[in-house]
Amino acid sequence: MSDFLNAYSIQRWLELAPQGYLEDTVYGHQADEQEPELLLEHENLREDAIRTTVQLVVGERCALAASSGLVNAAPDFPSKRFLATQTLDEARHVEIFTQRLHDLGVKGEDLESTIDHFANPNLVKFAEVLLEKVDAGDFVAGVVGQNIVLEGMAFSVFELLEAGSRQTNPKFAHTLSGTIADERRHVGFGENRIGSLIKQYPEKTPEIEKMQKEMTYYMLATFADAFEAGADNMDEGRELAVEAAAAQGVELEATEWHGTELGDASTEDLEAVLADTVLGEFKTRLGRIGLEYQSPSIPV
Amino acid sequence: MSDVEPHDFDPHALDQGVFLDQVHSFEFWFRAVEGYLSERPYGHHADTYDRDRTEQQLDGLVTTLCNYCVAETTALEGASGMIAFAPNRNAKIFLATQVVDEARHLEVFIHRLQELGVGDPEAEIERRANADLVTFKERFLQLVEVGDWDAAVLAQNVILETMEYTVFRAHANRADPITAEILEGVISDERRHFGFGENDLGRRLAAAPQERQRLGEVKRELDGLVLRSLESTLADVGIAKSDQPALGRDYLNTVERLGLVS
Repeated sequence: MSDFLNAYSIQRWLELAPQGYLEDTVYGHQADEQEPELLLEHENLREDAIRTTVQLVVGERCALAASSGLVNAAPDFPSKRFLATQTLDEARHVEIFTQRLHDLGVKGEDLESTIDHFANPNLVKFAEVLLEKVDAGDFVAGVVGQNIVLEGMAFSVFELLEAGSRQTNPKFAHTLSGTIADERRHVGFGENRIGSLIKQYPEKTPEIEKMQKEMTYYMLATFADAFEAGADNMDEGRELAVEAAAAQGVELEATEWHGTELGDASTEDLEAVLADTVLGEFKTRLGRIGLEYQSPSIPV
Repeated sequence: MSDVEPHDFDPHALDQGVFLDQVHSFEFWFRAVEGYLSERPYGHHADTYDRDRTEQQLDGLVTTLCNYCVAETTALEGASGMIAFAPNRNAKIFLATQVVDEARHLEVFIHRLQELGVGDPEAEIERRANADLVTFKERFLQLVEVGDWDAAVLAQNVILETMEYTVFRAHANRADPITAEILEGVISDERRHFGFGENDLGRRLAAAPQERQRLGEVKRELDGLVLRSLESTLADVGIAKSDQPALGRDYLNTVERLGLVS
């Protein structure tokens, strides 16, 4: 165990993240990058961007509460040490996505009311299921919920958003690429550390699987809400992006993500590919730690 | 991007809004630590030489470092637990930077113990832990458990951090070059941590002066534990008994700046 945990030391984290892929970034992106003008000029698109970013803030606040809350419950120093780096990673994510809300025009005094207004209730429930385990000091369930389920979801959502923003919003894409690198580390820790603990405490399996099932239900319900809310403005956003690129003499290239062309897929197709990707990841990662994926009922 | 240079950090000179927005951020933290972390794996340069020491000196250093680990574990568990009930986002982000600072300190002190030949640092820490420091940890974590923000900030970011700052500075002046280099980095962090504590608590006490009496009682309860563990650690470091009262006063003066007189 200790050998693998040495790969998650503060020293290694410093070399990889602050002194590595985050070096010379400001709030996760290059100093001279800004939100695209068309996003700021069109109120409906700006509101969609705010709504999307609020969900990221809600998810990252949950991850910050979970990772910091698990430090005390961790059974050994190397795990505490890793969770300390994850705590700061998650705090940075809260900070950079909050900064994006400000960049999109949300004033400091309106921040909390904006988050309350746009936060998806299903995502809030998703967070509550996880934080209940953390508050109870349940390290094994907490790490599965945090580092496999929450991080697994975040990883795919960030990848999808990054792929969709790469050409039209490099600032947001760069912000996301740093968080993707962080999430990859977090998921790796979860798989490595928890596998041995699940073997040690097999009696915890049914309770953990129940938590995974509940969290998955609320995650799918969040996806359904999010794609429905964005459906009206998606085509307009795409057309404006093509026009803006053409005005600069650039033709947008096709961007494929897990076999789906992001430039012309319907919201239903996008929701399906995201859900299939995340659930596929869950099955693989849960299998690696000796748990069987539990299918939730389909959200209405 | 923060406008305040971390090295010129004076929390008392800042307007509250500037303080919250600029200082409590990952950006500020990274700019503060990158100077002394780069090229110092595990807190010191690879080519810094060690000093010969007697068995007795080695034993004293190992005991001292073990108790630094107890203090850093206390701060790690305390800071991480306080995130859940911190009153605002900026305080949560600041505490997240403190969590990784404390874990880093623990890592470099454990690494130093291993460099000194300690095979099982965790067992050695448990064996050599100062009883007063362990009692302080238990009492502090009770304050965290019940979500008492003001008392937890006082215990951790004022009392514990000030005690560490006092001891680490005194130790760095007479330590071997490797330990001194490690301590210099840690001291830079502690300055930020108690800067946060003094600023946050100072503003809250100004707004709610009735809290002063309650926190004064918490302080009086913890003072005895702090001063006894301070005395014991300073003796392990090799500081003459005649110099110890002055260092104890350093600690008390810092705490008294908040108006919490014993």
